[in-house]
Amino acid sequence: MALEVNEVNGVSVVALEGDIDLQSSPAVRQQLLACFEKNTRVVVDLSAVTYIDSSGVASLVEAFQVARKKNGTFSLVSVSSAVMRVLSLARLDRVFTIHPTIEAATAAQG
Amino acid sequence: MPSRDAASAARRAAPTEALPPEPIKDHLGLIAEMTRVFAASHDAHTVAATALERITLHVGAEAASLFLLTDDVETLVCTACYGPVDITGLRIPANAGIVGRAVLRQEGLIIRDVRNDADFGSAIDAKTGFTTRSILVTPLSVGRDQLGAIEIINKASGDGLFSPDDLTLLETLGRAAALAIHNTRLTERLVAQERERHELELAAEIQRDLLPGAGAHDFPIHGINIPARAVSGDFYDILTLPDGRIWFNVADVSGKGMNAALLMAKTSSLFRCLAKSAEHPGQLLGAINNELCETNSHGMFVTMVGGLFNPATGKVRLSNAGHEPPLLFNLTDQSFTAIAADAPPLGIAAGIAGPDGFPTIDLNLNSGALYIFTDGLTEATTFGGGMLGIDGVRALIRDHAETPPERRLRSIAGAVKLPGQSLRDDLTLLVVEDNGPMRPQSVADVAENATAAGEIMRLRVPARADRLKLIRTATEQAARFCGAEAAWTADLVMAVDEACQNVIRHAYGGRTDAGDIVIDFVATVEALEVHLMDFAAPVDPAAIKPRDLSDVRPGGLGVHLIRSVCDDARFVPPPAGVGNLFKLTKRLGTQIKGR
Repeated sequence: MALEVNEVNGVSVVALEGDIDLQSSPAVRQQLLACFEKNTRVVVDLSAVTYIDSSGVASLVEAFQVARKKNGTFSLVSVSSAVMRVLSLARLDRVFTIHPTIEAATAAQG
Repeated sequence: MPSRDAASAARRAAPTEALPPEPIKDHLGLIAEMTRVFAASHDAHTVAATALERITLHVGAEAASLFLLTDDVETLVCTACYGPVDITGLRIPANAGIVGRAVLRQEGLIIRDVRNDADFGSAIDAKTGFTTRSILVTPLSVGRDQLGAIEIINKASGDGLFSPDDLTLLETLGRAAALAIHNTRLTERLVAQERERHELELAAEIQRDLLPGAGAHDFPIHGINIPARAVSGDFYDILTLPDGRIWFNVADVSGKGMNAALLMAKTSSLFRCLAKSAEHPGQLLGAINNELCETNSHGMFVTMVGGLFNPATGKVRLSNAGHEPPLLFNLTDQSFTAIAADAPPLGIAAGIAGPDGFPTIDLNLNSGALYIFTDGLTEATTFGGGMLGIDGVRALIRDHAETPPERRLRSIAGAVKLPGQSLRDDLTLLVVEDNGPMRPQSVADVAENATAAGEIMRLRVPARADRLKLIRTATEQAARFCGAEAAWTADLVMAVDEACQNVIRHAYGGRTDAGDIVIDFVATVEALEVHLMDFAAPVDPAAIKPRDLSDVRPGGLGVHLIRSVCDDARFVPPPAGVGNLFKLTKRLGTQIKGR
């Protein structure tokens, strides 16, 4: 799993890559929470994520809740079918704000 | 120097309050009195001195003494006396002197002048300064038991000669005294026996605590031990290792009773202690042998069958040190295989085991059972009267094959032991069962029949998060191997991953190096099954519930995800009774739920 953070139009864009599982999700969680320390608007780019498990989903849920508490925004972009499968099984596909591209996400949040 | 006059002076100086010094003229009065004294006392020894005084005074003599035979019947010891010289504790050979002659012939004697008797030994007089002139003696006996004799010395009254009348009186009193002494000895023996019995009871209680308690019904090993006496020289033990394998043994200490019980306690401690570090039974028995030889003496030894059973494979490693051959019972064709001893009993010769211990045999139970027993079973007497023998043991095992294990062992033992009757020898019986009925659902069955039952592969990995990717890759390959399509495969991968996460996080509590997960991928006719086994403490399946999805919060999703994508997901009883076995079933070629 690789992880990269960029600022795009005042929005923190966290790009994740590879498998997000029990092994890697603590780092993802930590990074997402760190982003909310500095910014209230965070986008997660899931285009390169090949697998996500329940612990990875839990990290996303936690970030979603922090955003709401801080009156910030949190959205997912480029959700692969593998990830979407898990989100829909968890009935979270309607909880998260999902955008097709980073541009759409930052535009919506900015 | 004591003399006749001195004796009379002593008599006058020390009258006994309870017994007036004046001689009772009437024989009957004395006999009645003495019989009453003896009957009223629990201890003949304490009234003996008083009785001797009364008799001496009654007959009008100078001294009297009571001689009792020692247990080996070779020595007469003076245990009480009356007169001017105290000879209590004096020992004479049982066949010597006039007293000896009376005991030997079992008849009373009147010796009116000892100088005319060849048997008279003057050595005692020389030592004590007393002068013996005449002797009246009667042997003491009860039935055939010779106890000793009473002698009276130097008649002083009348004509100074003992009369047949005196002898008759002494014989009459002697019989009452003999009975009293006999009763005292019986009482002492009973008290000693009672004390010994109490001590044995305590020992038996401690010994019972050394045996393992009854295991769960589905535990694969059960044992029974019935001592012939209070304590047993037989024993068995069962010890489960953290990885699920189980050590067991059955042993028989040579001899019976307390010394055998003590050696049993020592050997059983050695087994428990050394099993934790031993690699296989041969090595363990070799180590126990060396330890026993270092300190064992008195020619005692121990026969033992020690084994290590792996419930996950149904395999047993076994070492037999001089013990009765265990029987491997094949449930399918009802046949038996005897596993003979390859090594001598333990505790006889040190260092004979070789670098790798005693020989070890590998057995596959194949859903059958291994019976280990002591000769207390084979050599027991049946109700018909004959010896049970090995054929009798085989017949009993066959007859009770369908009975649950604990009841089966009790039934087999019950065939040679009636309630309330004791056995001739200690009896111990242990069974190691490959839990056949449960196996079709378990990992173990599949592992043993890899090709036949559609086992695709087995994976054993440490239960750690950094191994999950390996597990996912393996799962993906197993699904592909079955020809599953990509989406179906992705769902199964997720389910297996989530199940493994639960093992890591919940069963093993998130500790690294806490244990392994064994994963079996099994293709059945219409489904792919994944069996996940761990060796952690049992998880309560009821406590693991899918979460309420309307509650949006981190965590708790795993079980919901598993149930969503699998046709069946459940805990099944683990084959060894240890750890947890979680079984996932996902049908091939069916419509994928939710897609």
